[in-house]
Amino acid sequence: MTDAVTPVVKVTHLRAYYSTHQFGVQREVRAVDDVSLQVMPDEIYGLAGESSCGKSTLIKTIAGAIRPPLAVQGGSVEFDFGGNKLDMYRAAPDEIAAIRWRHLSYVMQGSMGVLNPVRRVQQAFVDFALRHIGQPMPQFLDTVRAHLERVHLKPEVLRAYPHELSGGMRQRVAIALATVCKPELIIADEPTTALDVIVQKGVLDMIRSVQRELKTSLIFVTHDMAVHAHLCHRLGVMYAGRLIEEARTAELFGAPQHPYTQHLIASLPRIGRAAPTQALPGAPPNLAEPPSGCRFHPRCPRAMAVCQREVPPMQTLPGGHRVACFAVTPP
Amino acid sequence: MWTVLRDLLRHNREFAAGVCLLGIVGLIAALSALSPYSPLDSYVVPPDLPPGLPYVLGTTSRGQDVFWMLTFAIRNTLLFGFIVALISRLLALLIGLVAGYAGGWIDRALMSLNDTFIVIPLFPILVLFYFVMRDRMSWASLALVMACLGWAYDARLIRSVALSLRTREFTETGIFSGMSMRQILTQEHLPFVLPIVFSTTMNNINWSIGLEVTLSVLGFTDINTPTIGSMIYWANQHTAMVAGIWWWVAFPVVLVVITFVGLFLLAISMNEFIDPRSRLGRGMQ
Repeated sequence: MTDAVTPVVKVTHLRAYYSTHQFGVQREVRAVDDVSLQVMPDEIYGLAGESSCGKSTLIKTIAGAIRPPLAVQGGSVEFDFGGNKLDMYRAAPDEIAAIRWRHLSYVMQGSMGVLNPVRRVQQAFVDFALRHIGQPMPQFLDTVRAHLERVHLKPEVLRAYPHELSGGMRQRVAIALATVCKPELIIADEPTTALDVIVQKGVLDMIRSVQRELKTSLIFVTHDMAVHAHLCHRLGVMYAGRLIEEARTAELFGAPQHPYTQHLIASLPRIGRAAPTQALPGAPPNLAEPPSGCRFHPRCPRAMAVCQREVPPMQTLPGGHRVACFAVTPP
Repeated sequence: MWTVLRDLLRHNREFAAGVCLLGIVGLIAALSALSPYSPLDSYVVPPDLPPGLPYVLGTTSRGQDVFWMLTFAIRNTLLFGFIVALISRLLALLIGLVAGYAGGWIDRALMSLNDTFIVIPLFPILVLFYFVMRDRMSWASLALVMACLGWAYDARLIRSVALSLRTREFTETGIFSGMSMRQILTQEHLPFVLPIVFSTTMNNINWSIGLEVTLSVLGFTDINTPTIGSMIYWANQHTAMVAGIWWWVAFPVVLVVITFVGLFLLAISMNEFIDPRSRLGRGMQ
């Protein structure tokens, strides 16, 4: 990745809070707090973290698919689709409507449900993709059939109702639906979580082969570290609404810097290890009242006095490895 | 569609019986086109003849043939039921889907209107309506008023389904891909609620026919249009039961009971049709 290549999406200091005002009580849940990251063209960027750490909120915000009570409080999300630049929270609604699905598609959590159970699969393609692809109906259906063959699905699935397909097939159809317009960036929220490992591997291989063929970028969210190791080029780790570490996948697994990531990697089962895995005491904080300073400090074995007072800044180590922790000192 | 109907006829006894009963009723209504007499004329046949030949169901004290009178009456009554059901279904679908999908203040406004219609007592309103309208009261205006009063329960039912549809992934993906509200409602949500609407249509027809008969028997409608209710009204006016002209009252009552039973059987057999799995599974074979 040279400097001449511009990132396909650049997130800077993004903050997105769920704010509710009910019965006179103002509550603010800081689900995404000051997150900055970049995704390069032709790159799979993994986003890891435990449940309720803000992964889904972050990518919803990146995709612009937010709805009250979720609101963006600051920062920006800038896209660059081959010179076609756009700021998600400053662009006009019709500009955003024009890039969606065509340049930016989104595989939602529980994406098997994108197929309406009372309509045939073909209708989903027509409803979601037809107006973005700019082809008349017969050519469009040819494009869809060709694309389905690319993901090893028979064109007959177009005539089927969703309940006639297996979970894995539905997931493949959902991904085919998101990739049929050959978008530059695909955002996928836990697309394989509901599948068993064998089907999961098939779907992951399919995602990777589609990504290689279309040279798209992919933001892939899951809490499953094994999936990240299998698929992603770079990996970001989130904790309590903040991005705490980011590195190439091999580096992150090989030499994690942040104490949370170190525990996360250490907790993974390994073949041949006899010792029981160590669990980290405590639970992730309530994002309505996050701890002061570094949000990990109440559970951190290396916590210092400064961790309670100040938010650790993101520091860049050699090789593009970024980490937000006071205990890590650059060499 | 046709395979579904054929399979329902073959395997669902309630459905088959309902179709048979309504078929008989429909045939009688269709025969009105062949009637030798106008339904508005009186003293065209000898009055007060018991059932027999040549007047199969007898004649009335007003000199009308009960059989031919009945064909007009059931035709108008059925038409009335269908029109009320159609208009009120359109209202219920529109209000239910929009309220469930839009949410927020639109939902609150539409549902408070809806709840108003649920709690107001229908019968006194209809009687009041008759006393206000008097001679301008017509069959069509009554149908319109009944339709405007009959949508509320089903709009709530449809809204409750639409509320859950709104959070489904296909709705969210539709919004993300840039579908308009109208497209989402007609293409994604409408096919989902249609089976429910089919089933409530039968109940709504039953309800509107029942109410129309009640109003007509009491004389609170346009009594010159022959309906099942107005036939019974005229029989009462001529003290038919006291005079022993039982056929003037009995046959309309029997026919309307057949209609009710037929519609009821169809409505309950629709339960099998409502489940999209069994419906679509059969449709694919």
